[in-house]
Amino acid sequence: MRLIEQKIGGNVVLAVLEPRLVADKAQAFKESVGRYFSDGPISLVLDLAKVEFIDSTGLGAILSVLKRMPKGSELLVCRLNEAVTSMFMLTRMDRVFTICKTVDEAMTTLSRA
Amino acid sequence: MPLAAHASGHESLSAGIKYHLRYSVGNSSGIVSKQDILQALGYTVRGWLIDGLIASEERRRRIRAKRLVYLSAEFLIGQSLRNNLFNLGLLQQAEQATKQLGFDLREIADAEADAPLGNGGLGRLAACFMESLATLGMPAYGFGINYQFGLFKQEIEDGFQKEKADQWLSYNSPWLIERPAETCAIPLYGRIEHAQAKDGTYNPMWVDWQIIIGVPYDLPVVGFGGRTVNYLRLYSARASDEFDMKIFNSGDYLRAVEDKIKMETVSKVLYPPDSAPAGKELRLVQEYFMVACALRDAVRSYARESPGGSMERLGDYVTFQMNDTHPALAVAELMRILVDEHSLGWEAAWTVTQTCCGYTNHTLLPEALEKWPVSLMERVVPRHLEIIYEINRRFLAHVERKLPGDQARSKRMSIISDAGEIRMANLAIVGSHSINGVAALHSQLVKTRLVPDFYTLWPERFNNKTNGVTHRRWLACCNPSLAELITSSVGEGWLTNFSDVRGLEAHARDKAFQEEFLRLKRENKIHLAALIYDTEQIRVDPESLFDVQVKRIHEYKRQLLNAINVMHAYLCLVDEGAKPAVPRTHIFAGKAAPGYWMAKLIIKLINNIAALVNQDPRADGWMKVVFMRDYRVSLAEKIIPAADLSEQISTAGMEASGTGNMKFAMNGAVTIGTLDGANVEIVEEVGVDNIYIFGLKVEEIEVRRNGYHPWDCYHASPGVRRVLDALRDNRFSPEEPGLFQPIVDALLDGGDYYFHLADFDSYLAAQNRVSWDFQDAPAWAVKAILNVARSGKFTSDRAVAEYAKDIWAIKSIAL
Repeated sequence: MRLIEQKIGGNVVLAVLEPRLVADKAQAFKESVGRYFSDGPISLVLDLAKVEFIDSTGLGAILSVLKRMPKGSELLVCRLNEAVTSMFMLTRMDRVFTICKTVDEAMTTLSRA
Repeated sequence: MPLAAHASGHESLSAGIKYHLRYSVGNSSGIVSKQDILQALGYTVRGWLIDGLIASEERRRRIRAKRLVYLSAEFLIGQSLRNNLFNLGLLQQAEQATKQLGFDLREIADAEADAPLGNGGLGRLAACFMESLATLGMPAYGFGINYQFGLFKQEIEDGFQKEKADQWLSYNSPWLIERPAETCAIPLYGRIEHAQAKDGTYNPMWVDWQIIIGVPYDLPVVGFGGRTVNYLRLYSARASDEFDMKIFNSGDYLRAVEDKIKMETVSKVLYPPDSAPAGKELRLVQEYFMVACALRDAVRSYARESPGGSMERLGDYVTFQMNDTHPALAVAELMRILVDEHSLGWEAAWTVTQTCCGYTNHTLLPEALEKWPVSLMERVVPRHLEIIYEINRRFLAHVERKLPGDQARSKRMSIISDAGEIRMANLAIVGSHSINGVAALHSQLVKTRLVPDFYTLWPERFNNKTNGVTHRRWLACCNPSLAELITSSVGEGWLTNFSDVRGLEAHARDKAFQEEFLRLKRENKIHLAALIYDTEQIRVDPESLFDVQVKRIHEYKRQLLNAINVMHAYLCLVDEGAKPAVPRTHIFAGKAAPGYWMAKLIIKLINNIAALVNQDPRADGWMKVVFMRDYRVSLAEKIIPAADLSEQISTAGMEASGTGNMKFAMNGAVTIGTLDGANVEIVEEVGVDNIYIFGLKVEEIEVRRNGYHPWDCYHASPGVRRVLDALRDNRFSPEEPGLFQPIVDALLDGGDYYFHLADFDSYLAAQNRVSWDFQDAPAWAVKAILNVARSGKFTSDRAVAEYAKDIWAIKSIAL
């Protein structure tokens, strides 16, 4: 799983570099991203700009991270392309996650939380 | 290729053909086949079509015109070259250009494979509508499936139908334009997770779905005059991933492509008619795939063309017409898109859905009304099932408010039956602002017999739109000599204003005109006789009466009644020496659903009759019987212009409309028929003296249904007795004893559900009147000419104009 981590303030921005977040990447994604929450609650922004296609297992992996993160944590997603956005809406996951257009918007949202 | 060089003149067509021979077909050898020319000419014409398509789209966008999306599982297109050339005004130039290259355009056009993307009337209607809509300059688009295998090819072996796969050019036809940029990702399967949204509200999440990719192929549809080019958008299914690389890398190559193959099966094959859909998961997936692609496309276009526009205004932009119940899932899919993806409230979404959707009913046969098991729906489209439950809950509450205290009525109207099935017609009705039948009688029966409860609830939603056919394909192109005669008599206006053919009435009693009309008919009969010899090796006499029944083989259409009459005539001839009043050629053609055993037995019976009659010297000169194999659009275009008599003899109340009846009438064939479907309106138009009506009427069938005893007919009618005895005694199956006993049993002991025997004497009497009248050629010519002259109502131009005004609220876009 190719990820690039960036710390902004006390928050982690994790850019997912896989163009296809699908079945063969789902387990690795859960493990890699889940690790960030192993030491307690944090605020994490998933930057999905490089993800061109996501299927239900990819969405399931993101949802799984959300469900397992410790109380007090925040998980936001940002920079979704049209195809990925439509998959979030299709699944009604847009009602579970806060979706931001940019990393800056995500930071602002977190600062208000 | 300088396609801007669309300058008229056959030189530019010749240049185009030469260019495409080299660069599209890849032929540089100088040895060119008919197929090469067909492809090269097709690609040349495609340039014209694409220019027209772009211009039409720009015009529509510029004025933000509302568009029609016509949803249909079938578009029975047939051949395209001749009609495209005709509508573009390039026919004569193409004749010259091909002649210059040493080919005859007629032969080139005849070599084109039919696009067999439909089973019969419903699919051909959709294709006719598309042509008329383009001719009228309406912004209208057909959406369907790009079946790799269309309707099967029919071969006849030992008199039996054998089905062969028909793989048409679903990918490399010059008429199809691939649109990879407009691809759609369609989810299906999975489950619903009952979760909570961020704000704590209930949030049913559709998870674990799989994806099919819908790749659109556009087939341009040019209107007469070439001013408007619309398109049919046909989707091919692709897997979302070429391979599952994980499995592939582990060495299990076959499993790796398994999913790909499974997904691509979705657009593999057109379901044949009359096959019970229950349990056929693939069919349900096809129906969902089609509407999901179409709706996604429409919503995406709306978002592009009206950036920031509210989804509550979608109905100002597009209207969806469901051609039968196959696209009925559009109701649930549109609700899902609006509620789930665009966060509209339920009531607002429902208003948009009902505003956008219209439903055309095509059948009164209860067994043909689609029903899907809830369990299957839950597996394939779980979110849609939830939405259907909610639609139904709210709908039944509405019924209770409007028509309180009638539990039985509520049960009948429920979208979900007690047997755990989704009634697709009920879903389509509940979700539509308009419900129409396809002939006046049929629309009446929809209201009174099929869904009277819905009519009681919403009388204002029910209306009639009598079918029509495009007279440009079904007269001008397929019968050019008659077309010329019409033009020379009434001018060219009839091509776009078909009611102008009424002007022929003035010539109906003109001796010279009659002679010319009959001469042209005889020429068409000579051509058909040559084709019959070519394909069936049967010699028929063009001077004989060509008595034609061509359509799907189904018991309700009663090819068997026709066959009984033929057997009767033969038995009278050989047993009693009773010669018919006129020599006849009885021509049949049609396909039976592969699983419809009785229909296939009827084909075998007709072929056995043909074998016996055609080799019997006693019948020689008096009767011939022909079953033409592989009935399809292009064959119909050759048969119909040559017909003298058109058999439209369905059991009253069973044929929704029929469109073959209209095609025959406008080509000057006189109808023998029951008061069923659009026959009723043909009688009104052509006059009772110019048609042969027989048989029980709808209400008489209803009255007799419970007390009908076919054995009484057997005892009362010498004709019935003679034929059934001969069948039982194996006179039409001497080498295969007992073969047709099931037919005798179905007629006598099986209740004769379709009233063959009850109608036989009346049919025989009508046939005798036909024979009598045919002998008087001038009097027959008057009838035939008046049939043409009075068929103006039956153009699809009239039909789509009515839909556009009353249901779709779309308008012609002026240049």
